[in-house]
Amino acid sequence: MTVTDQDFQLFIYALKNSSKYDFSQYSEKSLKRRLAKVLADNRLNLTSLINRMKNDTNFVEKIVKEITVNTTELFRDPQVWQAIRYAILPKLKNNSVINIWHAGCSTGQEVYSMLILLNELDLLDRTKVYATDLNSDVLENARQGLYKYRFNIGYLDNFDKVIKENPYNFEEYNDVPYEKYFSIDKSNDLIKMSNSLKEKPIFKKHDLVTEDNTLYVKFDIILCRNVIIYFNYELQNRVFDLFHKNLYDNGCLILGLHETILGTYSVKFQKKGHAYYKN
Amino acid sequence: MDYKAVIIGGSAGSFQVVTRILNSLPKSFPMPVLLCLHRLKHVRSGFVEALSLKSNIPVDEPYDKEQLKPSRAYLAPANYHMYLELANRIALSTEDAVNHSRPSIDLAFITAANAYRQKLIGIILSGANKDGAFGLKKVRDNGGVTIVQDPNECEVRTMTQSTLQLTPVDHVLTTDQIIKFLNKL
Ligand SMILES: C[S@@+](CC[C@H](N)C(=O)[O-])C[C@H]1O[C@@H](n2cnc3c(N)ncnc32)[C@H](O)[C@@H]1O
Repeated sequence: MTVTDQDFQLFIYALKNSSKYDFSQYSEKSLKRRLAKVLADNRLNLTSLINRMKNDTNFVEKIVKEITVNTTELFRDPQVWQAIRYAILPKLKNNSVINIWHAGCSTGQEVYSMLILLNELDLLDRTKVYATDLNSDVLENARQGLYKYRFNIGYLDNFDKVIKENPYNFEEYNDVPYEKYFSIDKSNDLIKMSNSLKEKPIFKKHDLVTEDNTLYVKFDIILCRNVIIYFNYELQNRVFDLFHKNLYDNGCLILGLHETILGTYSVKFQKKGHAYYKN
Repeated sequence: MDYKAVIIGGSAGSFQVVTRILNSLPKSFPMPVLLCLHRLKHVRSGFVEALSLKSNIPVDEPYDKEQLKPSRAYLAPANYHMYLELANRIALSTEDAVNHSRPSIDLAFITAANAYRQKLIGIILSGANKDGAFGLKKVRDNGGVTIVQDPNECEVRTMTQSTLQLTPVDHVLTTDQIIKFLNKL
């Protein structure tokens, strides 16, 4: 099923009217395709979808979850986590407090990756980790810290690359057992994050499009990875402004592997390896 | 007729062909070249470098929202879909694979067809699945120029043959002929 431009505009408008969500500045191509899929999966036409959205907030939440992309991994793009480990976090080792914000954290794998790394570097106790997402369902998943095992065996390879191996010294090998941070329950096909990790972060619902910083602190590191690729160019700039205002002076922003700062904000940040430092 | 972009799709057996095409294009090739190629899961790096080796135009994996420029080639990054937005910007996405493929050649071609309409040249090369067939049909539906590599020359014919079964095309050409065609633009 294809969605016409007009249908698409109608949907965006209806969503805006029946909720606080504003998708009008999302990247159109991908969102249109998601919408077509949602219509097909729910066996709805656009009119019935819009009508149901008007008086069913749970349904709106479900639809918003379905039209956004939530894929994520533990230690996604290991080379970025190696940079966080060897280049970015060490700069903060003399801070008495470290604030980190995961904006668009999805089901939390990125947050647990950071917690594990912080613990390995003995920085966990002085760090406050905030994790936000638009979608309350993924946040609930993130709080539970439960992931499918068989589908995600790649997590273990990523863990090995970042935690056990040292890319700068092939002879070094830290045999950190997985059980230090999560248990693997093969019979139930689950990876379970340990309670000590789960207690640590503050998970909160937050919309990057419509809200200001509702965490009321400034940050040393903001991770916003694979979120702004779903925004159009103008909206990306709004988000860069938000991040710029809420970073400490020597703070940095970490984006997804193929995301970058183009345009006006590119001069307000300086790229060093995988991080954009506030100028 | 001045064209705004060339888009090339391929998988198994297309690497050599793409390399030859890139090596033959002049430094001042008047439009961007979009490459959407399936690669093996573990071959994540080194691909751009290999394609760049003898190419006269720079080959890069684009960033999201990067604006396309003429005389450059843009290779869809491994594990991302590559869309074309209006205003000449690339948009990347990590949503689910389409027909087990990410990047999906169909998606890249469909969105490019939408953005450039009759000013697009679409080329399907050797490949082991039928991803790309529907995309090239969309290029044609939008009035663009459609080219398929001669299946007799393809290392793996599935992609070109399923394209030819799905849609009539403007040209079925060998690699040499594709090179000649592009060099006349
Ligand atoms: C692909 S996931 C990225 C997860 C993780 N950061 C990573 O890179 O693996 C994108 C997430 O962005 C969230 N998102 C989309 N629009 C948002 C918005 N306006 N505000 C906050 N989060 C948003 C989605 O709900 C989704 O969970």
